[in-house]
Amino acid sequence: MKSYLLASLAILLACCFVGTAFAADSGSGEMEMLVFPEAYKAMKVNNGGTISGVVKFEGDVPEKAALEITKDEKVCGADPKFDESLVVGEGNALKNTIVYLIDISAGKDFDEKAKTEIDQKGCKFTPHVQIVPVGARLTMLNSDKIMHNVHIFSKINKPVNKAQPKARRKMPLKAVKKAEGPVEVKCDVHGWMSAWVSYVPHPYFAVTNEKGEFTLEDVPAGEYKLGYWHEACGTNSKAPVAVTVEAGGTVTQDFTLKMK
Amino acid sequence: MRIRTIALLLILFGMLVGFNFAHAQNAPEASEKGKQVYENSCAHCHGIEGRGDGSAAENLLPKPRDFTRGLYKIRSTETGQLPTDQDLFDIITEGMPGSSMPPWDTALSANDRWEVVAYIKTFYDGFKEAETPPKQINLSGKVPYAEQSVETGKALYTELGCVECHGDVGRGDGTSAPDLTDEWGFQSWPANLTQGWNFRGGSDTEDIFKRFIGGLAGSAMPAFEGDSFPGFGLTAEESSRMIELDNKDEMTEAEEEESAQLYEKYDAAVDIAVNLAEGTELSAEEKQIYDDAMSVVYEKSWHLANYVKSLMPEKRPEPAIGNNVLRSQYIQGELPEMDDAAWETLEASYFPLVGQVVIEPRQFNPTIDAVNVKSYYNDTEVAFLFIWDDRTHTTDETDEETGKTLEDALAIQFPVKVPQGPTAPKPYFLWGGRLPVYLWHWKASAPDQVTELTAKGINNAGVQEAQGELQAQGTYTNGQYKLWVKRALKTDDKKDLQLESGVFVPIAFSAWDGANGDVDTKRVMTSWYTFVLEPVPSSKRFIYPPLIALLSVGFLFGLRAFVQRRNSEEA
Repeated sequence: MKSYLLASLAILLACCFVGTAFAADSGSGEMEMLVFPEAYKAMKVNNGGTISGVVKFEGDVPEKAALEITKDEKVCGADPKFDESLVVGEGNALKNTIVYLIDISAGKDFDEKAKTEIDQKGCKFTPHVQIVPVGARLTMLNSDKIMHNVHIFSKINKPVNKAQPKARRKMPLKAVKKAEGPVEVKCDVHGWMSAWVSYVPHPYFAVTNEKGEFTLEDVPAGEYKLGYWHEACGTNSKAPVAVTVEAGGTVTQDFTLKMK
Repeated sequence: MRIRTIALLLILFGMLVGFNFAHAQNAPEASEKGKQVYENSCAHCHGIEGRGDGSAAENLLPKPRDFTRGLYKIRSTETGQLPTDQDLFDIITEGMPGSSMPPWDTALSANDRWEVVAYIKTFYDGFKEAETPPKQINLSGKVPYAEQSVETGKALYTELGCVECHGDVGRGDGTSAPDLTDEWGFQSWPANLTQGWNFRGGSDTEDIFKRFIGGLAGSAMPAFEGDSFPGFGLTAEESSRMIELDNKDEMTEAEEEESAQLYEKYDAAVDIAVNLAEGTELSAEEKQIYDDAMSVVYEKSWHLANYVKSLMPEKRPEPAIGNNVLRSQYIQGELPEMDDAAWETLEASYFPLVGQVVIEPRQFNPTIDAVNVKSYYNDTEVAFLFIWDDRTHTTDETDEETGKTLEDALAIQFPVKVPQGPTAPKPYFLWGGRLPVYLWHWKASAPDQVTELTAKGINNAGVQEAQGELQAQGTYTNGQYKLWVKRALKTDDKKDLQLESGVFVPIAFSAWDGANGDVDTKRVMTSWYTFVLEPVPSSKRFIYPPLIALLSVGFLFGLRAFVQRRNSEEA
């Protein structure tokens, strides 16, 4: 009798463990994030190296379907809008991929002249993926002369939900204090508008252009883990690529990404 | 001796003030008691760990608050600030109308509520880390409610884009309304501003002002912090000039310069505001610019709050019971058509709707508040006008889960036979049972048609073979449906309800909001109410009573004469 009890207790316990294991698993299915170093020190970089490459897409490219423009047609519907979660160019070049150094702890300072803006033009965010240094302001531009509403779904920092009426051409947002990202930027007025912003603690981040190209410059010589993030293809955070940068040298590292 | 007394009094006074202050502002330290109360009363919806994921959460919308992110909708504090303890205490005490959060004023003692406040604060570290108390919204510049203020507010309502979500007349039917989500990705409907009784944090002008200035953190409603205002940092005249220039197709050189100057001033003030938000100390000059700019913003916001206040009735209408029973008014001749001004003069009867939660699939999150009804009748016909608010006009949408077609609809329910007397049984309110019900079923996809049904249960309704001559007309404007129906008082069909003046007839309603997933039994409804064709006081009242009075008097005189005569004979 006692053994029955013990056995059932064991089964019950086992169930609990399996249950929690599954629960933990389902949690990781959320949006994949960038990985940041615990601390970063800015210093002068002499004779740094360069990491560059091309990101390509592998697989069937879904047909481009125009987004449905449901309001403000005059401004928003002047030219067709497409979903930008997967933009594949000539030769399968993959735009809007973030390529970055995962584990750098010291390197160059941010370029102060770099603009951290996202424009709202024709009811579309440009660029679709933006990098903003921690402590810098992201400025939202409104070239549309209609009302937009900037909604940034941050979780670590405070989310932003701020109206940008039509006369508000330039709206600087309060600088954030913690590294986070990418987080989605939406416009509540025009539900189809979407962009991604990453608040980063160091400047070794690049976003691929139409040709899928990226370049990270002034990298101090050393060994690094090279990571990527793409909205539709996910990240390689669990298995980043190791690269060795030599002083003044150039490393080429290409990526081929598939839909996640 | 005197000094000692004074000192003692001072200490006593200090203790009293201190005690009061503690209760007004600060919850006690989190305790075992708070945890216990929370787990007994709150965790079912808000979850053991405060993530808003309790066992009941799945079925609720708005979702129970996730306390782990420190985002609170109803606050007396500025944008980005945490709520005060008093804010949290008030919400627990008063509940949140229009959501599933009930008031806890009777179920929990004040002490327990304070304990819970302390406990829910432990779910978010920001409360502990905060070095200064949250900054409260300054209510001192209140602009009294007046016609002029409402007018100014109305212009701002459009200028600031409120209309995009809340709609032209505030029924929450703006063109962006269906796409809104909250910070957790759940649907977030904009408030119907004409229904103040459903405002989560109250509908006093001060409440509206606070929601507008502070935003509803976590929801789709943005905060209108100062620098969201077009022309922040400009005087009222300057900002309207700026907008005027903006709207010109072409500007002269001088105008361009003027516009550029205004924008420069505007940008400079915005820069100061952002600096302040980031925690930068302002110079005296900057502070002056900021304060001046904010006083313009606050004044405008009071105008806007007054305008929003003007959109709603003073209080929620009384349900159609007792004195408010739906009374169809008699008129001679033709009954008014849908657009007839005669409807304007009638008070509507208010039938509040609730989610159908008896039979699967249920509706736990109703989006339609009520249906308002007016009625006229004449010697042969009766006409009804049904009015209800729905944020979206849905005629043909497919439910992703079930594949069913979702559309807006209304059903008006009567018994087939009017119960004789007030204690006689009525059919079961969920579309009948043993006793059948007679229904008028209207769908948004065929707005000028009403189908007659007979039902013996919510899943047992059939279209009547003989469709009587019902006339119907339906419209949808600015987030509101109107349905006009006319029918003969008497019909030849035994399955129809027959109407007679002066007889109290049970009436009930079901409504469907397609955009809210309403279909079949998933709907909002009422239980039985009553309506009556208000009897006309008969014109015979001018004949019979005087006649009877006359006869009585005559009889008395006769009696008197008779008695007198008999008396004299006896004498």
